[in-house]
Amino acid sequence: MADAPIYEARGVTKSYGSVQALTDVDLSIRAGEIVGLVGDNGAGKSTLVKVLSGAHQPDSGSVYLDGVARAWKSPHEALEAGIETLYQDSGLCPDLTVSGNVFLGREKLRPGLLGKLGFLDNKAMARVAHEELERAGIGLTGVRRNVNQLSGGQRQAVAIGRAVAWARKVIVLDEPTNHLGARQSGEVLKVVAGARERGLGVVFISHTLPHVLQVTDRIVVLRLGRVVADEPTSSFTPDSLLKVITGLQATGTGPKT
Amino acid sequence: MTADTMQQDATETRGARLKAVLLRQDVILLGVLVVMVVFFTTMNPLFFTRFAFANILQDWAPVMLLAMGQTYVIITGGIDLSVGSTLGLSGVAAAMTMRSLNEGGTATGATIAVGVVVALATGLAVGLVNGLLITRAKLAPFIATLATMGAGAGLTLVLTGGVQIAGGPVEVIRLGNTQYLNLLTIPLIIVFAVLAVTWLVLSFTRFGRWTYAVGSNGFAARGAGIGVDRHLLKVYMLAGLMAGLAGLFVYFRLGSGSPTSGQGQELAAIAAAVIGGTSLVGGSGRMSGTVLGALITTAVLSGLILIGVAPNWQQVVIGLLIAVAVGVQQINVRTRKGAGRG
Repeated sequence: MADAPIYEARGVTKSYGSVQALTDVDLSIRAGEIVGLVGDNGAGKSTLVKVLSGAHQPDSGSVYLDGVARAWKSPHEALEAGIETLYQDSGLCPDLTVSGNVFLGREKLRPGLLGKLGFLDNKAMARVAHEELERAGIGLTGVRRNVNQLSGGQRQAVAIGRAVAWARKVIVLDEPTNHLGARQSGEVLKVVAGARERGLGVVFISHTLPHVLQVTDRIVVLRLGRVVADEPTSSFTPDSLLKVITGLQATGTGPKT
Repeated sequence: MTADTMQQDATETRGARLKAVLLRQDVILLGVLVVMVVFFTTMNPLFFTRFAFANILQDWAPVMLLAMGQTYVIITGGIDLSVGSTLGLSGVAAAMTMRSLNEGGTATGATIAVGVVVALATGLAVGLVNGLLITRAKLAPFIATLATMGAGAGLTLVLTGGVQIAGGPVEVIRLGNTQYLNLLTIPLIIVFAVLAVTWLVLSFTRFGRWTYAVGSNGFAARGAGIGVDRHLLKVYMLAGLMAGLAGLFVYFRLGSGSPTSGQGQELAAIAAAVIGGTSLVGGSGRMSGTVLGALITTAVLSGLILIGVAPNWQQVVIGLLIAVAVGVQQINVRTRKGAGRG
């Protein structure tokens, strides 16, 4: 079945002590689909991100990658399996170059003996980083510039470009447009849309509802740890989405005002 | 983007980078060094002699060894206050080992070899303790290394009873002080070799890259799959190893183990790194800067002695140098932040 989810959470429940953060949550992402994940503060978005990224294990329920149940022991394991997560404010290393950041933790070494000694192949990394960022739709001048010379929007674009370049299946973006101006957000949203063109599944978490409505294909609304709506983006208006989030309305296709 | 504008951008950033480097780092330090040399030479012509230079190099070497480790540590955003007392402890440990082997009639070569191993192992062990306190016990580097600094200095006094440890093989002094080309001793040559390795590793390898990454944004480094704690452990062990080597250097130079030989040396090492442009905030710094920083601190101290300033002023001068260097850095950071906006 072509439309089978690439990544899925089924019946995920998670509590911290007496706090029930997630209750029986289902979420599915298809290849080439951007799923918006919205909800008020404390609705469980961050917890769900942590479960998807492998940082936390659900108490019950499971995540499925390509239909196979997986129990991530660490974010690194999920990373290796092709799931990239961009945490809110995790950011980049400002003192490293753009290409140093793109290849952070996955450095290319020189061929031969020098490589065995741990010598970096900076030229090759700069070349590939430039290509990958351009492919992700990010036009940056000079990938050998330090990140601390970039604007906030450029930094975020690089962070997302990095995730897009490495992700093989899914990227999870937690508040990628936070603290960004309108033009910079626009650039970031373009990169997110580009990830869809590359056949990645994208989970897009944001408080900024216009961004969610603009870029996603489907929206999942969490409230008090439960999924209260899971509908195509087209069935929401800005007003109805807000009403579903706050609990004033049950679905996106309610009466339009 | 067209190839043309790319080329132009590349040239522009290259030009800007060149200008930044010229303005900020090594060239300024080199200028400071030249001014100092001219000043001290006019005050006392003895300063500009081969003899004085050889002496400065001998003073420079242990400071440089400590400063190499310190550069790595400070780039990770930490600090190692224990390196001075580790220098003393490992020097004394080597001296005591060699004395007892020598008195027991062990061959000179074997005695020296065991002494070398003991000193390096002592340094590594202190580094390991530092690393574990920081990564496992989650102590701030300042606190962890303050504790080992005190413990190391105390242990040195306990072991020696506060007296010099002589009685090692006499060849030690010859090995440590025979000059080749009227300038270089074997220990000095080893220091240069170690410097080359630590510089290459910091600037060109993955280990170096991760050192910067950990100090620049530890959270991002962890997110990228880097074993941050593991890396920190290695960096503090490197600093300890360098301190052990410095202890050996001092022992070979003096021919005896002095319990107070490391006193205040951590300050000199931190000064060298910071004067060389390594930021105490972490994430930036270069070994070439540290080399010049260590040269400046040791040349100042030699120069002051040559123009008749009492040696007791040394710590005061080093303290002043650190304050000035950090002050200059902060001005730099402020202007860079202003320029980088937009």
